[in-house]
Amino acid sequence: MKKLLSCLLLLIFMAGILSGCWSRKELSELAIVLGAGIDRTPDGQVMLTLQLAKPSTITGGWGGGARGIEPSAWVVSGTGKTVLDAQKRLATRISRSIYWAHSAILVFGEEAARYGIRRYIDFFLRSPYSRETMWIMVTNGEAKDILEAYSEMENTSAQDIANLARSRTGYSVNLKDFTIMLANQGTNPIASRIDLIDYSINSGGLTRAKSVMQKGAILTGTAVFHDETLAGFLDESETQGLLWLRGETLKGIISVSSLTEPGKEMSINIIRGATEVQPQYDGESVWFDVKIVIEGDLWEQQSGEEIMERQVRKAIEEEMAGEVEDKVRLALEKVQGEYKVDILNFGESFHRKYPKVWPKLKDSWDEVFAGSGVNITVEAHLRRSGLETKRTSEKE
Amino acid sequence: MLEGGKISSRQAIFLMVSMVLPTAFLFMAAVIAHLAKQDGWISLLLAVLVALLIAWLVVSLSLRFPGQTIFQFVEVILGRWPGKVVAFLYIWWLIHVNAEILRQFGSFMVSAFMPETPIIVFEILVMVIAAYAVRNGLEVFTRANEILLPIILVMVFIINILLIPELNLKRLLPVYIDNGAVSIIKGAIIPSVWFGEIVVMAVLIPYLNKAKEAYRVAASATLITGSILIFSYVNSMALYGPEAADGWIFPSLNKVRMVNIANFLERLEALIMFVWVAGGMVKISIFYWAAVLGSAQWLELKDYKPLVLPVGVIILALSIMAHESILGLYTFLATSALPFWIVFQACIPLLLLIAAMLRGPRKTRH
Amino acid sequence: MRFIKFIRRGMSGRRKSDSGQQDNGSKNQKKENLTANQEPRNQDLSSDLQTNLRQIRAILSECSDVIYREFDFAQDERIKLALVYLDGMVDKTRVSDQIMHSLMLDAPLVEQGEEFTRTRVFAIIKKRLLPIQQIEETNNLDQVIDAVLAGDAVLLADGCACAVINDAKGWESRSIEESQTELVVRGPREAFVETLRVNTSLIRRKIKNPNLKIEAMKLGQITKTDIAIVYIKGIVSEQVVTEVKERLNRINIDSILETGYIEELVEDNPLSPFCTVLHTERPDKVAAQLLEGRVAILVDGTPYVLTVPLLFVEAIQSPEDYYERPMFSSAMRLLRWFSMIISLLAPSLYIAIITFHHEMLPTALLLSLAAQRETVPFPAFVETFMMEFVFEILREAGIRLPRQVGQAVSIVGALVIGQAAVQAGLVAAGTVILVALTGIASFTFCYYASTSIRLLRFPIMVLAGTLGLYGVICGVLAILVHLATLRSFGVPYLSPLAPLNTGGLKDVAVRMPWWTMLRRPRLVGMVNPQRVARGLKPAPPPARGKR
Repeated sequence: MKKLLSCLLLLIFMAGILSGCWSRKELSELAIVLGAGIDRTPDGQVMLTLQLAKPSTITGGWGGGARGIEPSAWVVSGTGKTVLDAQKRLATRISRSIYWAHSAILVFGEEAARYGIRRYIDFFLRSPYSRETMWIMVTNGEAKDILEAYSEMENTSAQDIANLARSRTGYSVNLKDFTIMLANQGTNPIASRIDLIDYSINSGGLTRAKSVMQKGAILTGTAVFHDETLAGFLDESETQGLLWLRGETLKGIISVSSLTEPGKEMSINIIRGATEVQPQYDGESVWFDVKIVIEGDLWEQQSGEEIMERQVRKAIEEEMAGEVEDKVRLALEKVQGEYKVDILNFGESFHRKYPKVWPKLKDSWDEVFAGSGVNITVEAHLRRSGLETKRTSEKE
Repeated sequence: MLEGGKISSRQAIFLMVSMVLPTAFLFMAAVIAHLAKQDGWISLLLAVLVALLIAWLVVSLSLRFPGQTIFQFVEVILGRWPGKVVAFLYIWWLIHVNAEILRQFGSFMVSAFMPETPIIVFEILVMVIAAYAVRNGLEVFTRANEILLPIILVMVFIINILLIPELNLKRLLPVYIDNGAVSIIKGAIIPSVWFGEIVVMAVLIPYLNKAKEAYRVAASATLITGSILIFSYVNSMALYGPEAADGWIFPSLNKVRMVNIANFLERLEALIMFVWVAGGMVKISIFYWAAVLGSAQWLELKDYKPLVLPVGVIILALSIMAHESILGLYTFLATSALPFWIVFQACIPLLLLIAAMLRGPRKTRH
Repeated sequence: MRFIKFIRRGMSGRRKSDSGQQDNGSKNQKKENLTANQEPRNQDLSSDLQTNLRQIRAILSECSDVIYREFDFAQDERIKLALVYLDGMVDKTRVSDQIMHSLMLDAPLVEQGEEFTRTRVFAIIKKRLLPIQQIEETNNLDQVIDAVLAGDAVLLADGCACAVINDAKGWESRSIEESQTELVVRGPREAFVETLRVNTSLIRRKIKNPNLKIEAMKLGQITKTDIAIVYIKGIVSEQVVTEVKERLNRINIDSILETGYIEELVEDNPLSPFCTVLHTERPDKVAAQLLEGRVAILVDGTPYVLTVPLLFVEAIQSPEDYYERPMFSSAMRLLRWFSMIISLLAPSLYIAIITFHHEMLPTALLLSLAAQRETVPFPAFVETFMMEFVFEILREAGIRLPRQVGQAVSIVGALVIGQAAVQAGLVAAGTVILVALTGIASFTFCYYASTSIRLLRFPIMVLAGTLGLYGVICGVLAILVHLATLRSFGVPYLSPLAPLNTGGLKDVAVRMPWWTMLRRPRLVGMVNPQRVARGLKPAPPPARGKR
């Protein structure tokens, strides 16, 4: 019996080795995708753009690649009927297997986003290789251009953009959150907006002989969707207001004007905050009570006010609150007035509070939302002032 | 004696937990989410209650015939030939369940990790290890399980804890109103069938150190498994929300992919692969052992070792032939498995218990 | 108890089938040859000295180191005596000073009126004239020959059909040195030597208790090696002792040169890569094992002592753990567990991840590795396998290096294989680091376990190369199941982990302080479980009112 089992084992192992290991891929056989972009061509096809890493140019311990001159990534585009179809066309040009697991960003061109994004993201959700942690971005133009952009700080623009998204300066959405927002009836998806900006690079070493114009990527706000189609964009201030309304990532810097010295500003770093949204329904109309509480530190003061005095602090806090409320109202106007989409999760809050009423309203929720009133109360607290009480450079 | 091993109550609890947990941990969330959405944890609670009932049923039945497995006492209750028929049906059920488990196991590995590898490679390797364990007797895979299960539980725990930054418990609201009692009950059916696999205890009780503790063993195992699954389900729901969780086949896998602590602890799929492979192997071993032991007792052989290989081959073949694709498997598990399996898990034991009670006084001795 | 019954059944089963098989082997022929020479030997001595000497000479013919010293008794030159001994094995001064001096020169202390007759001479010699510390009387030629070959001096007298075996053993043997393979920082440094009596004395010095029993036997048809079975009565389980004796008695082999022979003939699972019998060079370790209720087997001629039963978790236990402070020892234990995992799995995990599961690496690391691997011509599996193989070659060569060549070879090893191969682009730097780490990690825990682990590394690497992480996990599971099947003299190999014994866990992953380890390991020391009294946690006395 032992002999039989050992023969069996031997056969299995031999079969495993001899017939070839099916899922084996050596590292040098991989075309590592760092970022992908999806555009819609005028004739309705999908244009898939891939930014592939070129490992030999990235520092591997024995010598660095020359940055600024030689790109450390290769960008290719291909078209097809579906994303996978486009990938298949690309495979005929790329000498290695396309490997999705490290793709950090997914950029959608404006055309693709306006057409409907659900059909494009299915591949990325279904494939076991691509990850749901990819950052979703929308650009005003073609995604291809973003991927071909240049990065000064990082090796490749995809890593650059991914780090920008990770630092959460704007509103960063990964594929998982995007999908949840898309699937949820009480809200609509949003994504970061990314654009190109020109800047000149001095290359050529010490002599600085050459000066090259490159395009870099920059986060410029948020893209607003109505279900799966792009409705419009919010700029940076509106995005900040949006963030406060959603109650997420309430950090940031706000600047208030000085009370005593006009023309001078103070900047306050918001450390933490909380937003509470209470939907109200009286049988006919819907409105929302939004309460925002923020805490901040005073980190920069152009004017010379005495923040040691309580009234001054109270006044500053009121200014802070006012500033926040302005931004929030800006965002709300855009969202309710112009785009008429609920991207603030108000629908979900309503659903949770009035679950029995929700089935009636959910199909036309965006209209209900556009017409509902929003009461905003902001409470601001000034907690700390850095290392100074008053400006130490002040003359007595 | 056919099987010389004896296991302690604690080992039996571990064994029973391992029996239900691995497949449930992986597949359960999707099936329930489809029906009960965010109230799936209520469904799980109901399922645990049903499971406790089934466990009580099975244990009461087994304790009437101390020292005999179900294959033996069914002959006592029903007479030799009807008993043999029922015993054969049970053997066949065990083999079928094992084939399903094996297929689930292979499907997960292929879908999630290595799509190019044929499914049979995974299945053969795990069957070989399970066959080795089963050949060496009950005590062997029990001991291996005693080491594996704590590791598995710790990993499940870690995965769920590491996700806390990403959770949003509000996604579990509103409770009950959205879905209604009907959906919740529908959602409870499939988990009950899975928990009901505890009927395998009818084969295991004769080999417990202290058979009287069998009630405690069954109850503890069910409660432990239930609480872990509820915890995991709540976690999945809070992470994805009711709508999105519906689409995934393996929400637990996707869950693990989302773990990202300080940009350092990420990409931890290896953890879930270990949970699945180790847990799957133990589960397959248990059913395999039960089937082999049952066959040996049915054929009245002195030793079950020669049967290990043939039964293994049957299970392997059946797992490949039974379904064409993972979707077929999924549909089977979500729909047809219920009426089919509940017969073996609850109906037949119930009938047997009634028959046994009618037949004569308690504790018929042999 | 039932575990041991279980294995005893297995034992008797084997014996039945063995009696057919083993005797048919080539050993049988040797045995027959031996018995052909031995049969006439089983006889008694004759009263005639010359006959005896002739017989002995006939048997020990062509043995040029046997000395036959014939002399006369000091008191009566009619009484002829002869001394037979092996040159080189006896202590010459003892033979000449104590035996021959007293018999040839000293005046006997005899009462008046007594006479030395031939019949009485031996009695008087034994009682009064042999100031040697150990003697034994015999009238069997067999025993005489065995005694001579064992290094004793045998005294024969004319007119007496008996002989006196004098213990005059004194051969050159190694002095007690530090153990070369089991080193500790804190703790006794003595190690066993090749002489059985010295080894037993080392154990006796640690356990001065009348219950420490040392039973003697001889094994090996030709070598007649002295074996000692040592245990502490009252702590050890009688069934284990009986089982050990039964298994030892079953051994029918021509030679026992080292405990390894006995180990292979006595262990429960001869086909397993894991040791179920511990071998050690340190007396303190053996003493500790005995105190836990185990049995030790000593063999003359080797410093390695066996102890049974053995548990898997002892592989990461070092005697130093019990001498150093518990916190430090616990940290070291955890380190050793971790090293064991590294030594088994590190190369396989490396192969698996960079060949199958690239998604598990962080992007930056992946790109860096990819850059490295661009230059290497071999697939990861082949490269790692090759490097591990080369490392094993280096390791094996290192053991047998003559000292003079040692320097040059280590330079070859380090520079050529490490540095030059990487620079030539044959292997990636990462692989070299990994292989070196794996090798070093395997030295942190017990050698007997590290050999098993080293061996098992290679099949798991093959599995990793074919099926990635799944293969690694399956390999680990297979090993685990195999470990679960092992028993060592009736005790499951994996206890106290499985079957779970929470009390025993105090000594597994960590080393709890002595005042907590109240009981002996359960399945081993179940006869007399308590070893430390309760309430021993030290605390300074309460502060007093006045000073």
